[in-house]
Amino acid sequence: MEQTLKVLNALERDGVLGRYAIGGAMGATFYVEPLLTFDLDVFVLLPQSDSGLITLSPLYEALRERGYQEEAECVLIEGVPVQFLPVYSALLEEALREAHETLYEQTPARVLRAEHLIAICVQTGRDKDRQRVRTFLEQASLDRSLLADTLQRHGLEAKFQSWIQ
Amino acid sequence: MSAEMNRLIAAKEQRRHRLAAMTFPEKVRAVVKLQEMTAPLLRKQGRQVRVWAMDRKILPPA
Repeated sequence: MEQTLKVLNALERDGVLGRYAIGGAMGATFYVEPLLTFDLDVFVLLPQSDSGLITLSPLYEALRERGYQEEAECVLIEGVPVQFLPVYSALLEEALREAHETLYEQTPARVLRAEHLIAICVQTGRDKDRQRVRTFLEQASLDRSLLADTLQRHGLEAKFQSWIQ
Repeated sequence: MSAEMNRLIAAKEQRRHRLAAMTFPEKVRAVVKLQEMTAPLLRKQGRQVRVWAMDRKILPPA
């Protein structure tokens, strides 16, 4: 995992990706009990191509050049299947911009904030997202004011309230 | 609910909070343990899963 993060940091340093942060189940695990997952979900801000399109192709190409191969919808980086998810909404852009800086062992890493992970769960809306929100509310230390503000600004407050009743 | 059931549920909740308080690297190691336990069952169901390779530590010479 630490080696994987070093590769992500190098990709960011080299400008292959604009910014990254861990999300998904591993992002949630940062704040709550360990959650089973087989993929490392990484949200990425990608540089825009000449055509104005945002595409993962240059990132995948850069990883192939470094010897990392695609495996289904992931790229296997130092033994960890990484799924890159380009930011596609205002909520994700904000989440990535305000992600939490941390250290994994000796390596810098970035994880989405718990409040944003909850909002993303509400926006995504699957059964497992609903369960994950419950886990966050039971176990994570949350900034309730930030959570309420985030949900309100992204039009997710009503859905969140319906989930927690 | 019986007093015994209440005690068991409370103990379970306490354990989950203890797990949530572990460091991130400790949690990642726990996730890999979960992967090791569940991967054989998932593979039997036809799901392709890969257990993460943990970072190799370079130990000082003895």
